Amino acid sequence: MIVNWAQILFNSAVTGSLYLIGATGLTFTYGLSKFPNFAHAEFVTLGAFIGYLVAEQLGLNIPLAMIVAFLIGGIVGVLCHRGVFQPLAKRGATIIHLMVASIGLGFALRYSMGALWGWKPHYFSTTWLSFNIGSLRIISLWLWLIFVAVAVAIVMHFVLVKTKIGKAIRATSSNPELALASGINIDRIILITWFIGAGLAGIAGIFRAADTQIWPMTGWDIILPVFAVAILGGIGNFYGTLAASFIIGLAENLGVVALVATGISTEYRAAVAFLILIVTLIIKPQGLAMLFRRA
Amino acid sequence: MQETLLRIKEVSKHFGGVWAVSGVSLTIKSGSIWGLIGPNGSGKTTLFNTVAGLHRPDAGDIYFNGTRINNLNPHQIYTLGLVNTFQIPRLFPRLSVLDNMLVAARGHQGDKFFNNLFLRKSWQAQEGELAEKAMEILELLELDHLASSPAGELSGGQRKLLEIGRGVMASPTLLLLDEPAAGVNPKLARRIFERIEDLREKKGLSYFIIEHRLELLFDFASWVYVMDKGRVVVEGRPAEVAENPTFYQVYLGE
Amino acid sequence: MDPLIYVLDLVVFIGIFSIVSLSLNLEFGFTGLANFGKVAFFLVGAYTYALLSKAGLPFYLCLIAGASTSAIIGFLVSLPTLKLREDYLAIVVLTFGEVLRLILKSERWLAGGVWGIAVSPAIPIAGASARVDTLINVGLVYFCLVICFVVVQLTTNSPYGRVIRAIREDELAAETLGKDRAKYRGQVLALGSAIAGIAGGLYAQYIRFIDPYMFMPMLTFTVWIMVILGGPANNWGALLGAVLVMLFDRGTNMAKDYLTLPIDPINLQYILFGVLIIAVLLYRPQGLLKESRIKTKAIEMIRHARNAPKDKRS
Repeated sequence: MIVNWAQILFNSAVTGSLYLIGATGLTFTYGLSKFPNFAHAEFVTLGAFIGYLVAEQLGLNIPLAMIVAFLIGGIVGVLCHRGVFQPLAKRGATIIHLMVASIGLGFALRYSMGALWGWKPHYFSTTWLSFNIGSLRIISLWLWLIFVAVAVAIVMHFVLVKTKIGKAIRATSSNPELALASGINIDRIILITWFIGAGLAGIAGIFRAADTQIWPMTGWDIILPVFAVAILGGIGNFYGTLAASFIIGLAENLGVVALVATGISTEYRAAVAFLILIVTLIIKPQGLAMLFRRA
Repeated sequence: MQETLLRIKEVSKHFGGVWAVSGVSLTIKSGSIWGLIGPNGSGKTTLFNTVAGLHRPDAGDIYFNGTRINNLNPHQIYTLGLVNTFQIPRLFPRLSVLDNMLVAARGHQGDKFFNNLFLRKSWQAQEGELAEKAMEILELLELDHLASSPAGELSGGQRKLLEIGRGVMASPTLLLLDEPAAGVNPKLARRIFERIEDLREKKGLSYFIIEHRLELLFDFASWVYVMDKGRVVVEGRPAEVAENPTFYQVYLGE
Repeated sequence: MDPLIYVLDLVVFIGIFSIVSLSLNLEFGFTGLANFGKVAFFLVGAYTYALLSKAGLPFYLCLIAGASTSAIIGFLVSLPTLKLREDYLAIVVLTFGEVLRLILKSERWLAGGVWGIAVSPAIPIAGASARVDTLINVGLVYFCLVICFVVVQLTTNSPYGRVIRAIREDELAAETLGKDRAKYRGQVLALGSAIAGIAGGLYAQYIRFIDPYMFMPMLTFTVWIMVILGGPANNWGALLGAVLVMLFDRGTNMAKDYLTLPIDPINLQYILFGVLIIAVLLYRPQGLLKESRIKTKAIEMIRHARNAPKDKRS
């Protein structure tokens, strides 16, 4: 069997890029608000639909769609935090209560989108350039995805290390009491992370939908791998998430090669992320966080 | 004749580079109250928690009634007769005070799944006896009127008493109490120790107690160990310890 | 559709999901185990029943086998997850369910893959009308429900129930007081999974066809809403929750035929569902029915003999 390593590496970068954009928000909100937000899937889906609205229904261009999706997604994220999760936390809700609330919120969001746009899949009408470099097959959409992911990584790194807000996020992540004592407005920090997190999820949604389809389950289709990335990387740890995105991206694509080689159904591709998720939680729940102390 | 219950030999425990307990050796014999005293951070609670199986000792051995308990789980250590209580009471808030006591009971046939479901007669009578015993202890601690109240509704002082009550309910051979009278006024503290002594006589228990206030241990304990910075630095009868200059250096010098 | 069958059909579904609700309540309400993979055990029961029934075994053996297989898997899941924090346990079990579903989807030889498998009814009567068939199912399902209810009620309203509640409140303290939490977790997950397995078998033989798409995480979430709405740690609450949620589900489906709404009722139903669960969590997280008290004869005697008025508290 001939293995196209170049393609595998490239595909891994593509998969990893999508997961990075999707998981960044999750790792921060999980880390700061201390519960797994399953409605994050709907933040992704919302981005896809807003993208559809702007790019298809309003006939504007995709980059504009991404900006709008980021902003609206961010606002929805903040509303969810303020309107549902924060009040619950104030009333002493446990992690499980918050989880269940996020699932209920997910229902409400998902079916609202279903009501607004219907359950039949929609598609972006953009035709993406497809070309070959040697044995490598590239679609321009993927190049954009990698580009955006790299941009996100650079911007996040810059924000976390060089800006006041970024340092405040890192402080709150690692030691909330100390952060509070140092005068950091934790409330505002958490609000900002929800905004950024949901916004980025929306962008991930547009890329995912552009590659597959736009429908109310767009986010749910990738939510477990996104969780796997957040957990493998260490919850609340951006650099860990960065590494984990590409590790899992690579693992998935290598997994496909292995499956084809052994004749097992490639449906099992999804199992790669599932197994990494389960094994990480059982053996080392803090994930790669130890390797990336600076969060 | 006092038999040796607990033997701690050169036990050490560290957390991330800090040695909380360092080469501690001590012996607890049956039939009386043994004290452990020392300034904050001297490692007393860590020692208790290590003995109780919450931590594994990094060095040394711990023997209870001749059995080496280094690697046992807390529930196995309980089964041997060594019962631990917590400095900050860990009650079951939504369970009633009486239920809290009953969970602590030893050898309840109803704790086993099959007995519980299929052999109901086997534990009905036992439940009655245990409930009576629990109420006796609660009366002694003046908590009996709260038997049906959820433990979460108790005041701070009442929680400490319930924590002690649960420990006694467990029919221990040796009961570890971590600051049983902490945070209560001196009069109540003395009353708590009187209760402890009462229960000791009535039920034949032995106690190993961490306590800040030496004057309480004076009147009730027969032997005291003093810890500082993870080590045992002084030991002896309370009166002797009170005369020991090292004790003053360590304890009152902070 | 024949209105009587419509009602009986609803009754059967309420019965089946009441059983699942009871099982989750045992695990989460009483023992504090966040089983977010409940559908996996339901699925195991369903598929075990389907395969064994196809092999010709009588229905009661298929049900028992389904329960046993589920129980074993439930016990096995309890082992590696022992030290996990509740949200990690939830995610692991949820993912585990998805792995099972993936295997069933991909391995056609197992049970038809995505094309599913047909299941013959438990008690077929030649020439019986649809009404009689449904009635028989009502009988079968409720017979099983009563047994499961009695078992769970006896288990939770008892010394054993006291121990698992203690584990829920404070695992470490319970362990310090002699309770082996590994053992109790294993037992509770095994029993809960067995009960869910029975429900799965009943479901499979009732709808006579199963495929992997019928066992999505959505089902787990629906059952969670039943337990939380009805009141965790109250077995009647688990039943109440199942009844209310199923009525809500069917009610909105019916509305589709009789009301014209601006929003498609199915979408509206789930939007309301989501809002409802958030409202319950915000305003009445303890659910409709409060936690059931442990009432053994001894406790009752003591309560009556010595209960003093609450204002005597110091």
